[in-house]
Amino acid sequence: MASNKVYWKSFDQLANTEVSQRLAENEFAQDIPVDVFLSEASSSDSTTSRRDFLKFLGFSTAAATLAACEQPIIESVPYVVQPDTLTPGVPSFYATAYTDGQDYASVLVKTREGRPIKLEPGDSARFNRGTNARAQASVLSLYDSARLREPRLGKKNTDWASMIIALKKSADQSRAEGTQFVLLTSSVYSPSLQTAIERLRQGYPNFQHVEFDAVSQSNTLDVWESLTGVRALPSIDLTAASLVLSFGSDFLASSMAQQVSSDYAARRKPGTGMLRHVELESNLSLTGSNADKRIKIKPSEVSASLAYLINQLGGSAPSVGLRGDLTKALQSLASEMKSAKGKTLVLVGGDDANQARLAAALNGLLGSFGTTLRSDKPVYIRRGNESRLSNLIADLSAKRVGTLLVAGTNPVYFRVDFSKAIAGAKFSMALTDRLDETAMLCTAAAPIPHFLEAWADYRPAAGEYSIAQPTIKNLFNSMPLLEVLGSVSGDLRSAKDQVAASASAMGLDWNKTLHDGGSTVSSGAISGTPAAAAMAMAASIKLAKPSEGMEIALYENALGAGFQANNPWLQELPDPITRLTWDNYLTVAASDALAMGFENETNSDGSLDGSYASIKVGKRLLENVPVFIQPGQTAGTVGLAYGYGRSAAGKVADGGGVSAYALGISTGSAKVEISKAEGMHEFATVQLGHTMMGRRIVNEVNLNEFVSDPSGASWNEKPTFHTIDGLKSAEEANLWANHDHETMHMWNMSIDLTSCTGCAACVVACNAENNVPVVGKEEIRNLRDMHWLRIDRYYSSDMSKDRAAEENIGGIEMYAQMEEPSESPMVVFQPVMCQHCNHAPCETVCPVGATVHSREGLNHMAYNRCIGTRYCANNCPYKVRRFNWFNYITNEQFADVNPSQDDFGRMVLNPDVTVRSRGVMEKCSMCIQRVQYAKLEAKKVGQPIPDGAFTVACAEACSTGSITFGDVNNAKSAVRAAKSDARAYHLLEEVGTQPSVFYLTKVRNA
Amino acid sequence: MHYESTERKPLILGDKSYHQITEDVVRPIETAAPRAWWVAFSIALVMFLWGVGSLAYTVATGIGVWGLNKTVGWAWDITNFVWWVGIGHAGTLISAVLLLFRQRWRMAINRSAEAMTIFSVIQAGLFPLFHMGRVWLAYWVFPIPNQYGSLWVNFNSPLLWDVFAISTYLTVSVVFWYVGLIPDFAMVRDRAINPVQKHIYKILSFGWGGKAKAWQRFEEVSLVLAGLATPLVLSVHTIVSMDFATSVIPGWHTTIFPPYFVAGAIFSGFAMVQTLLLIVRKVFKMEDYITIQHIEMMNIVIMVTGSIVGVAYITELFIAWYSGVEYEQYAFLNRATGPYWWAYWSMMTCNVFSPQLMWSKKLRTNLVFTFMISIVVNIGMWFERFVIIVTSLHRDYLPSSWSMFSPSFVEVGIFVGTIGFFFTLFLLYARTFPVIAQAELKTILKTSGEVQKKLHNDHGAQH
Repeated sequence: MASNKVYWKSFDQLANTEVSQRLAENEFAQDIPVDVFLSEASSSDSTTSRRDFLKFLGFSTAAATLAACEQPIIESVPYVVQPDTLTPGVPSFYATAYTDGQDYASVLVKTREGRPIKLEPGDSARFNRGTNARAQASVLSLYDSARLREPRLGKKNTDWASMIIALKKSADQSRAEGTQFVLLTSSVYSPSLQTAIERLRQGYPNFQHVEFDAVSQSNTLDVWESLTGVRALPSIDLTAASLVLSFGSDFLASSMAQQVSSDYAARRKPGTGMLRHVELESNLSLTGSNADKRIKIKPSEVSASLAYLINQLGGSAPSVGLRGDLTKALQSLASEMKSAKGKTLVLVGGDDANQARLAAALNGLLGSFGTTLRSDKPVYIRRGNESRLSNLIADLSAKRVGTLLVAGTNPVYFRVDFSKAIAGAKFSMALTDRLDETAMLCTAAAPIPHFLEAWADYRPAAGEYSIAQPTIKNLFNSMPLLEVLGSVSGDLRSAKDQVAASASAMGLDWNKTLHDGGSTVSSGAISGTPAAAAMAMAASIKLAKPSEGMEIALYENALGAGFQANNPWLQELPDPITRLTWDNYLTVAASDALAMGFENETNSDGSLDGSYASIKVGKRLLENVPVFIQPGQTAGTVGLAYGYGRSAAGKVADGGGVSAYALGISTGSAKVEISKAEGMHEFATVQLGHTMMGRRIVNEVNLNEFVSDPSGASWNEKPTFHTIDGLKSAEEANLWANHDHETMHMWNMSIDLTSCTGCAACVVACNAENNVPVVGKEEIRNLRDMHWLRIDRYYSSDMSKDRAAEENIGGIEMYAQMEEPSESPMVVFQPVMCQHCNHAPCETVCPVGATVHSREGLNHMAYNRCIGTRYCANNCPYKVRRFNWFNYITNEQFADVNPSQDDFGRMVLNPDVTVRSRGVMEKCSMCIQRVQYAKLEAKKVGQPIPDGAFTVACAEACSTGSITFGDVNNAKSAVRAAKSDARAYHLLEEVGTQPSVFYLTKVRNA
Repeated sequence: MHYESTERKPLILGDKSYHQITEDVVRPIETAAPRAWWVAFSIALVMFLWGVGSLAYTVATGIGVWGLNKTVGWAWDITNFVWWVGIGHAGTLISAVLLLFRQRWRMAINRSAEAMTIFSVIQAGLFPLFHMGRVWLAYWVFPIPNQYGSLWVNFNSPLLWDVFAISTYLTVSVVFWYVGLIPDFAMVRDRAINPVQKHIYKILSFGWGGKAKAWQRFEEVSLVLAGLATPLVLSVHTIVSMDFATSVIPGWHTTIFPPYFVAGAIFSGFAMVQTLLLIVRKVFKMEDYITIQHIEMMNIVIMVTGSIVGVAYITELFIAWYSGVEYEQYAFLNRATGPYWWAYWSMMTCNVFSPQLMWSKKLRTNLVFTFMISIVVNIGMWFERFVIIVTSLHRDYLPSSWSMFSPSFVEVGIFVGTIGFFFTLFLLYARTFPVIAQAELKTILKTSGEVQKKLHNDHGAQH
């Protein structure tokens, strides 16, 4: 039906007046002089002919075409069918379990447009929830272009079908010939994998499964197996502890450190009842640096000390003579332990059976079982058995092995005897992520997926079951171990189906378990406590006298056992203690270095050099080991980190450092002969000043002082200034106009120096979140690291201002001595990033205004505007600004190390953060992309941002909760509470920069 | 005519007529270059080309080819910048300030001193330009209209003040110098035989006819420009010093910097003038115009400014102690006793101790000694800037970030290149420009010439 409505625009039109009629006729109010234009005389006598016009047209078309040819072609293919779960620009998170052959952690994977780009801590209910440096870095290992891409038989690439046929043929042949079919892996704690292995065992009576851990815990596991009947380590529960006594155990950096350090920090909240931690160790470890009291001890003195303590506490153990000073220290420890019975935990490091027995006995004596030491809730992530590995090596050498399948580990690198033995296998196949030392010697090698590419499940500890899910389609032609084993045993289910079957066998809801990343289950617990058995065991052991000569203790730094050695983020991560990168080295006490003629010297350009040593353990010789003089190292001992000295890991790792595994030390420590070698090694360090030079940088207070003065007036004195109006604080004595800090948000960050352990997970998290370039050893040596967040480590010095005043030592002498760290230093860590000053020295000096202040308390850096005068960096009192000295994304010097120069490595880049070009300054942005994202999300729902709705990358990665980020204008925020804490202070407050970052005084329970 | 006391020493030696002066000044332009000039020019050119290569490498690869690091963001670049700017100061002081104070002895040296100013400011300008990480965006330091909305330069930044100060200084110096050159160019033009040469000097001399009105305007413009240039002597180095003084870095954050830098600039500038003139005087046989008395006068200026600089150094030390600020105290203690003690003591020896030898009349009138001291002072002043920049930066507030600095061959190359560039320009100048302001000099011949003074002395005022 046609509408008969009449629309009108004005009353005139409605009334159809004369004016409106005239207007209607005349659509355009003004005449357009078309006629004038057309009749213009000049147009007819124009010299431009039709031919000319066509020529110009042709030319300009050709020119436009040519110009178009020079444009770079960027292929960006949109989804044909857009997945409904994926919005470009919006990240998706998946719960999964992180494993790298050594560690286990429950994590959340952040993916953008189908690419995993970041790991975050998993659900708080999960076991070992959180990320250490290795976990944070593991997402880059996914995109390692050195990964094996295709299965290869001999030297030729092949397909999986032929691989499986070859493997099965060899396995069948071995069965027929009566030779062994051996699967060699690191510890297997996956229920599905255990089922698959069982099925294989049923089909092949000659099948054997050998597990070994790169850094072995075999002897300790033997002890616990004899005590509890289960091959598993007890878990430790610090929540119930008030005294931790650790003999060289680096428990804050171990594979379970996320769980342990979180409990540790919770129990070390400053106040009465704060957990006390005493460390007795030879190397200065991360854990020892955090101790309230640290006693230098040699590895060979540990057993005797433990025995001494047992005897002191009324137990029975063989007694061995000890140094007088050590005896005295142990005596006072014994009395401390007596008063903390049932709340004490004794830990040992390394893998010495006697030490494990004595520690178990001591824990039994102290009533730790069931309270701090939970042998009833064991951890299964270490199951390796060295004696079975030795048998395998013997069998290989005797050619009793027909088929050797090495999966996910690298025995040729980890065990010095293996390279010769492996030739004894008739058919050997490495299921590996790269053509590593083992794969090179195998008949066949095939790629296995990265943990982010495959289905898997785990039972890492009693009561915990977790599922790992793929977050990206496998990049290369890899097959999970579950499917490989299944193919041989005739189980053709996919890995997902196998995992799902295991989960349903446990009666778990698949979707919920998958969503949560795991579930609590009832299996795995052990009943009864072996305290009595442990004490009885200790009474009967035989102890050797502490040795006189030099001893070596091996340790793990951020690289750990070395599974991720080819990860540039880990290689470039400064060691928390030595602050060296890209290397391992012999840590030597200053007195020993002097005696043996070892030197460390700083060159005129600030680069550090060190002597070389040759070290000999038994018959094994390791040459050209760089020497680093380490304060806090027990005299008569040296330390060396695992994980370096690779020859076939990839461009990043190969040739860096020496392999500690080559020494063949099975218990973690041994007697060693050391001699000086020729030449000087080039180190790459990021820190040259090791002490605080008497300055108030890390504010530190003893617990009793802290408790007796809760206001902090005596131990957290703020700088004041004499002005014409009397004494004023740094904030008041101020020449600048203040910014408005009350309207909207005011982002602040609190860093608790008491709970910060210096583990450096935050540093790697920051690298990953903010696309921080990797610059390689040479540039680090040139003191040009690009880290936005660094963890300063300071040693105490024997010289102090008070001492200088007492002894009448002049300023020159005092400062010279202050530069020298003490032989037995106290250690403090201080994470330092851009302090986001509210009166920022950098902002005033930039000639082009490239760095400016936000009204939310942040200091912004506009890369586009920066012309690179570096004036801001010079004027930064915190020295947190980092300059792009080179074009790290194209300069060939960085091709091997910087992920953004690699087609695969580039996939790890966070699309929310600009990759900086050369010549511009960069620095911590306080994860501005996260701030903006949270603000937009809040805007969408029309609510203020709730406290804790988001946080910055470093804070999120921190297992101890040391870093708190939030809005101080939100009265209920955690950071607001922290700001009013008596421990709060600003770094270099006297400079008047009014930072948005503040620190909480370190409290030591000394 | 004003007669000068015969007690005052003559400023022009020998029996010079006006024509003689013309001949003496124009000789290097009209005669073929001596072999020594060619040798010197070749060396300078090679050094210059080395510098060009080093700069090209820097621009193509990145500032990373220098020896800087995360803590020391400026070193040789800004050291050289301040050094060259400082050297420039003597020229302006001589031509402008001494003109206002009617110091006639300036007339023999002002032309070359001003040339030196301009050439050294050109060198100085290269450093702030090429020390930028993105030199191709250097024009962003100018407040030019742009399409980025309200994007403007940061007027708080001393580096921006530098841009204005240096560009103003260069402009005024060039204009002042050029105005003074016009009558002299006209003289060369009038004598030129070669038509090409004649044509060039014709253009350069702006059609100078030597009319009385022209001379009157010339005098007025000179005086006005001298008035404009005089505050620049103080302002340029004051502003340069503010790059440091307005910062928060201990050792930089010092209110004494402006006068201290100005004194230092004059000190180093006179030393450089001394170095150059001793050579020019010898090579171009200008001993009659640049007399021992000139040398002595400049030596006295060097001695006085050297003492001022010495007082400044000691004041800095005193204030560091007196302030009670531990960072400040450490910064100065570290300068004198830290890893860069050798730089500090080189500075002290060269700048404070060596000019004190000028108290001896015998030494300050000794040409060889003067030449040596002039070089020593320039080395010392280079070290002064190095000490201020590097030793303050390398150990500032947080010991965790302390570092060291050592230059790369590229930085050395750029520095050597600027020396080459400077001498290339100066040598070209010496062969094509009248190196002495002959027109001005002729005005004092009757009063300050040796023969004229003697005649006046012997025969009284009627002569």
